[in-house]
Amino acid sequence: MTIDAANPIEQQKKQPIRRDAALEVTRLMPRPLLATLTVLLCALVLIPIVYIFLASLNTDVGVASGEFWPSSFSLDSYTKIWDSVGLAKAIGNSLIVSGATAVVSAIMAIGTAYVLVRFEFRGRLTVLRGLLGLQSVPGTLMLLPVFVLFSSAGTYLGVTVIGTLWGLFIAYLTFALPFSTWVMVTYLRGLPRELEEAARIDGASNLGILFRIIIPLSWPGIIVSAIFAFLLGWNDVLFASVFTRPDTHTAAVALQVFASAVEGGAIPVYSQLMAASLVCAVPVVVLYFMFQKYLVGGLTAGSVK
Amino acid sequence: MASSVTEPRPSDSSPAAGAAAEPGETTPPGKRRKGLSEKNRPLWLLIPGGLLMTIVILVPLAMGIWMSLIDLDQYTLRQWVSAEFIGIQNYIEAALSSELLRSIWLSVSFAVISTVVTIPLGVAAAVVTQNAYRGRAVVRSIFLIPYVLPSFVVASVWRTMLQPDGIVNVTLTNMGMDGGLWLNGPNAYWTLVWVEIWAAWPFIYLLALSGLQAVDHEVHEASALDGALWWNKLRYVIFPYLKGPVSLAFLLATLNHINNFTLPYVLFGAPAPSDVNVLPILVYVTSFQSFRFGLSAAMAVVSLILIAIPLFIYLRAVRLDVHEGGKK
Repeated sequence: MTIDAANPIEQQKKQPIRRDAALEVTRLMPRPLLATLTVLLCALVLIPIVYIFLASLNTDVGVASGEFWPSSFSLDSYTKIWDSVGLAKAIGNSLIVSGATAVVSAIMAIGTAYVLVRFEFRGRLTVLRGLLGLQSVPGTLMLLPVFVLFSSAGTYLGVTVIGTLWGLFIAYLTFALPFSTWVMVTYLRGLPRELEEAARIDGASNLGILFRIIIPLSWPGIIVSAIFAFLLGWNDVLFASVFTRPDTHTAAVALQVFASAVEGGAIPVYSQLMAASLVCAVPVVVLYFMFQKYLVGGLTAGSVK
Repeated sequence: MASSVTEPRPSDSSPAAGAAAEPGETTPPGKRRKGLSEKNRPLWLLIPGGLLMTIVILVPLAMGIWMSLIDLDQYTLRQWVSAEFIGIQNYIEAALSSELLRSIWLSVSFAVISTVVTIPLGVAAAVVTQNAYRGRAVVRSIFLIPYVLPSFVVASVWRTMLQPDGIVNVTLTNMGMDGGLWLNGPNAYWTLVWVEIWAAWPFIYLLALSGLQAVDHEVHEASALDGALWWNKLRYVIFPYLKGPVSLAFLLATLNHINNFTLPYVLFGAPAPSDVNVLPILVYVTSFQSFRFGLSAAMAVVSLILIAIPLFIYLRAVRLDVHEGGKK
């Protein structure tokens, strides 16, 4: 019923203690049906995935004419993508903005989440509800006023914000901060109080407890909240399409340029688009699978995308 | 990790340090916890995060609502402070002479259809990975891939596959069917639904999986002893456990579908074909292509009100707190 992000106690429960003997009892379907469903679901996922690989090795004409298996393989696309729309620069921009968002939101989240989880105060539940609710506020609703505020920063203060990475960074914080804080809240709820209470009896101050007990024990939670904040930035198209210029394009926007770029006038550069898609997706997929144990809980903690 | 926890103890545990840090030492043990959480609260720790959130969230949110009440377009944008206040005229225009109502219908129907289809898929995936077998970890990872992939990648790939002469139509022709246009015209709506389903079913799978893990082993044993048929066991024993998580997933997934901007934007571009002119796209085009910022803000506020209904139900249902006394 409840949704817990990377709750350490939940994780322990998942380890099956009784193995083989329990298998027959807990199986929910006849074996053939199980196998059929598994194969169908895997095929549903894997066919497009395999297609990306093959198409990135194909020629543009081959992709455009609907080949699944390329008639000729080449790695050309992987060397071309870096220059044709400045993907390298764009990935660099994405890394800078998303990385900064991740670090700032994760740091901000720790203190806020600690107080929200461990102390009572008036308005606490409202804040918790707000953190969760903000994740479902439409991005377009936040985009408009942020855009107007940024453009008036140019008019009234003489500071150019639109088109810079700073503007994008601030815009991402609007979603990353509440989300990271919520992820930290769900993580800290799973930490036992006993250590803190022991430290308190030993005379540790609140700040001492935060730095010597909470933070060392919550590394997994901190990493998860940072990764999610990072992915919010990495995956975003909405804000980046409005707030960036060609030299501050992020990877997600650069990919859209591929789609409209045509080489020689006839066919879009499909195979470069697929190669660039893979290049943008691989870091994310690797990140997920490296931290899968912790991230899966966080995925269900709120809307990530 | 363990050493850094125990390290400070020897010095801190001296009586003097303890007394200095905790003046209320004389309170009876029973009241101790309450006294602690009421007297010695480091509420100032909320200030940095709270201040930043106020600046980057509450201020724009309030301004978004204000913007929907003023006459703001590309001419008045630079001097928005002095833009004319026109009350609810933006809302009236949005309702009467814009695509808003149609977009609401498109968004809601698209979101509900997508969610309804993903639920059986997700639950089935959770059921088939419930038991450990060799290779299950791989299957579980595969199931997560669509959800893990960035939306813009998913949309780019499907757009390439669904080109008029792309792989999908070639395959359909080989199977003796007529493909037709997927990225334009009436089929575009179903393309959007299909790609959203492809990308979103693992979310249901994850929540259903957490529901399945709540089923005690004794329950499995009991239904095995009763000799329940697998279908009856699923239907009457297991599915009731999933009702909670799946209802929550239903709400959350529907909200996510309604708010999804990336998928329609990358699949169809902006302005989108009229059959996939969903709310986020409409708001985006109204402000950044027609430059009617006030009108667009009114539309955005309407979409907030629209999602507020499922959001409210969700916030009531989800557990916000861990209190020994239960829900608070």
